[in-house]
Amino acid sequence: MGQSFEEALTSGKFLIVTSLDPPKGTDLEGIAGVIGKLKGVVNALGVYDNPRALMYMSPWAICRLVIEQGVEPIMHVTCRDRNRLALQSDLLAAASIGIKNILCVSGDHVMFGDHVDAKPVHDIDSVHLLSAAKALSEGNDMAGNPLKGSPAFCLGATANPEANPLEPQLIKVDKKIQVGASFLITQPVFNMDNLKRFVDHVKESKVKVIAGIDLLVPEEVPKYRDGSYPGLFVPENLLEEIAGADIEKCVNVAGDLIKQIKSANLCDGIHISAPGHEEKIPDILKAGGL
Amino acid sequence: MIVAKRKPFKEIKESVSGANKILILGCGTCVAVCLAGGEKEVAILASQLRMALQLENQNVHIDELTIERQCDREFIEQINTSVNVDDYDLILSTACAAGVQLLSDVFDHKVVVPGLNTTFIGVAEGPGVWTERCRACSDCVLADTGGICPVTICAKGLLNGPCGGARNGKCEVDPEKDCAWVLIYNRLEKLGRLDKMKKIHAPKRYSVQEHPATIIHEAYKHRYTV
Ligand code: SF4
Ligand code: SF4
Repeated sequence: MGQSFEEALTSGKFLIVTSLDPPKGTDLEGIAGVIGKLKGVVNALGVYDNPRALMYMSPWAICRLVIEQGVEPIMHVTCRDRNRLALQSDLLAAASIGIKNILCVSGDHVMFGDHVDAKPVHDIDSVHLLSAAKALSEGNDMAGNPLKGSPAFCLGATANPEANPLEPQLIKVDKKIQVGASFLITQPVFNMDNLKRFVDHVKESKVKVIAGIDLLVPEEVPKYRDGSYPGLFVPENLLEEIAGADIEKCVNVAGDLIKQIKSANLCDGIHISAPGHEEKIPDILKAGGL
Repeated sequence: MIVAKRKPFKEIKESVSGANKILILGCGTCVAVCLAGGEKEVAILASQLRMALQLENQNVHIDELTIERQCDREFIEQINTSVNVDDYDLILSTACAAGVQLLSDVFDHKVVVPGLNTTFIGVAEGPGVWTERCRACSDCVLADTGGICPVTICAKGLLNGPCGGARNGKCEVDPEKDCAWVLIYNRLEKLGRLDKMKKIHAPKRYSVQEHPATIIHEAYKHRYTV
């Protein structure tokens, strides 16, 4: 597979990652095709864990498929659906099938999803999950019990540079870095000043920042506006631009954001989110000059 | 205080069906303050039930009584100085659910049904408005969070700061509600105690939450131990 994602993180190379929704059901054909198309295009392929609290297949199974297709996966793990026992068990299981990169997230609230009556677990938060994964890597579980064989994880976390106010986010992000996050994948960014403030704050640490780029599409504009996508704060002028746009225009808007990030030399990479439009990712990269 | 709200009338009516003599028993403490189960609310519920049952030509006798507290045996036991509980086939309690249970323990030969849904531990914000403030987690963190409870006010009960979803200071779940962590940040900043927010809070210890919990005051321990 050549250079691993962890090695690539420290190599100084500009990284390209994306994440996919697992299938709802057992049919793997569609997702296998998407993975095949992204091979060689991205440095690593994330797999969401019940994104927006919609029930899908567990991400470890798709991460395994990603590995089998010769791509390196990043498994998203949310604290919303499992308690500390189940989370640690799944981390060990993931390690046993070759998954190394773990993205620890709190998880969108249950009310956004398709099982609104489910109990939101949140036994531990993303800071705790990072330290739990770190502890496992060091040979112990959260309770301090020794492990027989321990994983070697490369740990990531999320953050939102577009948060307003930003300061509480920054305090949380510092904690994530402190407990072992070596990379951050941000929520979609639109405003370079906000991204710069964020990056300036974390640049003292060795953490790598992978900026979120969303492919905005006209049919979703009402949802972007009404807060249906938690953590996605699209500026009004961009919403207006997207509202009547065709897909090529949307691709160019995402490409422009990449160009701005690249030219300001703000980040170590980008994470493209284009749910349902993954086939456009190579075009987005091209539009972004990558 | 405990905040409760009345159950839907249809549900109450169904739960008392078959009884010919009903005592509606109010509670004069928390649920009276939150206008759900005190003397006035008992009177309203009694009239509503009488009318509804009369319309169906059901001959049901309904009496009303409100005592100071239903969560204390001493007060419950005094009921018999006002009414004879054995005259009724059913007691409809408008206390919080703790009161309903104690009532049912004391009169364990009687059918006791709840008239309220017990909802939260909270405070009165202003006339007619109550908000939840505590989930009784048995391991209070308020000293580090500027007196604002993240376990209760944050929709995810996060302990180490906000998720990425807060929108202009409002919670991702409800634009009408403040993000707990923005409130905590602002309060701690005002108090010059932001260092408290920077501290990493360990995961909650659910082991300290005994369910069902019992507390015996030190001074009384000798009474209950052999
Ligand atoms: S931390 Fe919150 S839920 Fe726990 S006791 Fe304190 S106020 Fe109540
Ligand atoms: S927006 Fe704030 S209150 Fe709402 S879930 Fe996130 S951190 Fe908690």
